Amino acid sequence: MSSKINGHVSPQPCPHLLVFRSRNGPKPFRALQDCIRVKPPGGRAAIRREPSEVPRCGTCEESSRSRLYACVACAAVFCHAPLLHSHASDHALSIPGHEIAVDVDRAELFCCACGDQVYDRDFDAAVVLAQTVNATATTSTSGSTAMQCSVAGSQPENLRKRRRVDYRPWEPDSGEHISRGNQSIPLLDATNASLVSSTQQPWGLRGLNNLGNSCFMNSILQALLHTPPLRNYFLGDRHNRYYCQQKNGAINGTKNSRLCLACDMDALFSAVFSGDRTPYSPAKFLYSWWQHAANLASYEQQDAHEFFISMLEGIHEKVEKDKRKSQSPGSGDCCIAHRVFSGILRSDVMCMVCGFTSTTYDPCVDISLDLEPNQGGSGKSSSAKSLNSFNVEADCMRPNQNCGISTLKGCLERFTRAEKLGSDQKLFCQKCQVRQESLKQMSIRKLPLVSCFHVKRFEHSSIRKMSRKVDRYLQFPFSLDMAPYLSSSILRSRFGNRIFPFDGDEQDASNDLSTEFELFAVVTHSGRLDAGHYVTYLRLSNQWYKCDDAWITQVNESIVRAAQGYMMFYVQKVLYYKESENQGTS
Amino acid sequence: MELLRERLIDCGWKDEMKALCRAHVKKKGRNNVTVDDLVHLITPKGRASVPDSVKAELLQRIRTFLMSAAL
Repeated sequence: MSSKINGHVSPQPCPHLLVFRSRNGPKPFRALQDCIRVKPPGGRAAIRREPSEVPRCGTCEESSRSRLYACVACAAVFCHAPLLHSHASDHALSIPGHEIAVDVDRAELFCCACGDQVYDRDFDAAVVLAQTVNATATTSTSGSTAMQCSVAGSQPENLRKRRRVDYRPWEPDSGEHISRGNQSIPLLDATNASLVSSTQQPWGLRGLNNLGNSCFMNSILQALLHTPPLRNYFLGDRHNRYYCQQKNGAINGTKNSRLCLACDMDALFSAVFSGDRTPYSPAKFLYSWWQHAANLASYEQQDAHEFFISMLEGIHEKVEKDKRKSQSPGSGDCCIAHRVFSGILRSDVMCMVCGFTSTTYDPCVDISLDLEPNQGGSGKSSSAKSLNSFNVEADCMRPNQNCGISTLKGCLERFTRAEKLGSDQKLFCQKCQVRQESLKQMSIRKLPLVSCFHVKRFEHSSIRKMSRKVDRYLQFPFSLDMAPYLSSSILRSRFGNRIFPFDGDEQDASNDLSTEFELFAVVTHSGRLDAGHYVTYLRLSNQWYKCDDAWITQVNESIVRAAQGYMMFYVQKVLYYKESENQGTS
Repeated sequence: MELLRERLIDCGWKDEMKALCRAHVKKKGRNNVTVDDLVHLITPKGRASVPDSVKAELLQRIRTFLMSAAL
């Protein structure tokens, strides 16, 4: 009954629609195209012969009670109220070929004979075109990437098509065969008991000593050490620290003059995955990071999220300036940090007066989410930020809202919700040439390999010169589907679920990667803003481990579910290996 | 009209109706439901569940308009 176009289900036409299309040539709805009127603020499309027309039923002069439909064949308007009377059906049944009608207030096709809505690609395309005619996007640069957006489908420049290669399992060539036979020892051979620890703990679990309030660093490092693409990159010797230092030493003359955070990461990976279970002190790493982020170099507690961002920046900066690689983070070609974490966010700002929409694309390495403003009317509700004040009422009035339980999905929904910017935040509209009230909506244009969600638990108020921590519990799922937050989904629902080719649909193979993600690391913060402690929970072969500085313990998943999440790391499901039970393979 | 739509979205009425429709479609099967069915199902429930505050606000506006138009 329905076919999939670009992963999106579109319904098959009914027989009457098919007949209508075959009879009326290639552009059966062209007469309607001129009658599509769009109301700017909501983008709602209606069918009117003249802008101020008030449609009435041809038979009974009704114009308000029931839905009104205009016959597509003869443009006569009729009412349709299934229980009482349906002059539209009467008309359809009396004249063959006049079964298809269009809802005048919603611009949706209806088959009076089947009594149900029908969908047509060309018609929907025409409606969407009308809705976007006064909303032609322009580029505005913020960040290094700026891209055009149009329904017609121009490809953003920085996303190149990824060639697909057929999958072939690896077979060692002759050279590899020899070295494999002679020198390599199977890692997980049952006879080599010395290599496998007796407790059968997963590889790469090693405590990190606290060097003086460095739990913020330890927690993030533990998460990164077990980020699958990052782990594979470093364990696969893709950044060899000896080679890198040698090369840089040759350039700069002295061995230690050029610091490279990626080299330090490489050293860390080697140490942690060595099989040695005694706690490791990441002193060299801390020292290198201090050199990179001089303003944060102290023994004071730092923010783990800040550390995370500055680390990624550090890895990006020290990357060799390869002319072949593009330097823009959006495509992820610049360095491993961006390859793994960088996604692209899309921001649409629509002028409430003329409907003009401007779209910008920005790369991002994580998504920072606001917690819901406090429900239940305690004194804290007044501190809800003005941006969210529009939603505070809504949250309280929802009759079925499960008051008190915030979820990650709820935060994401709010993140991608269309938001009215307050009258004190009018943005400049290019069409009106003045500042106007606007509607802003965020969505995700491209998903990264690893999604990092940062929960804004620390509020810094410069007005009141104080900061506070929000301890509110946030529920997060172990498996997450990001499909509803993608730009394609958001745009579709904005246009009322029309069938139209979204310019992102035919994109490169990265869109074929599923939108399903699996949780693998949670960084939690406990305590107060000035005296707190970070702990990371890692998920390895479906077991959860608590990494508290130098102490690693196995924990039940219920502990993790109840923990106060500060940063959650999700990896694309296709990259998340679920190890099999028996490890005795060679 | 737009104001009414906005208020109904704000108070969660639209989501409630959506949920009702979804439940109905799940029960009947996706291919066995028509728009008419849904409208027939929703209309009484919808009319009953519009919050009083919304009704009051809209009525007030209509009254104000009528008074200003009558002068």
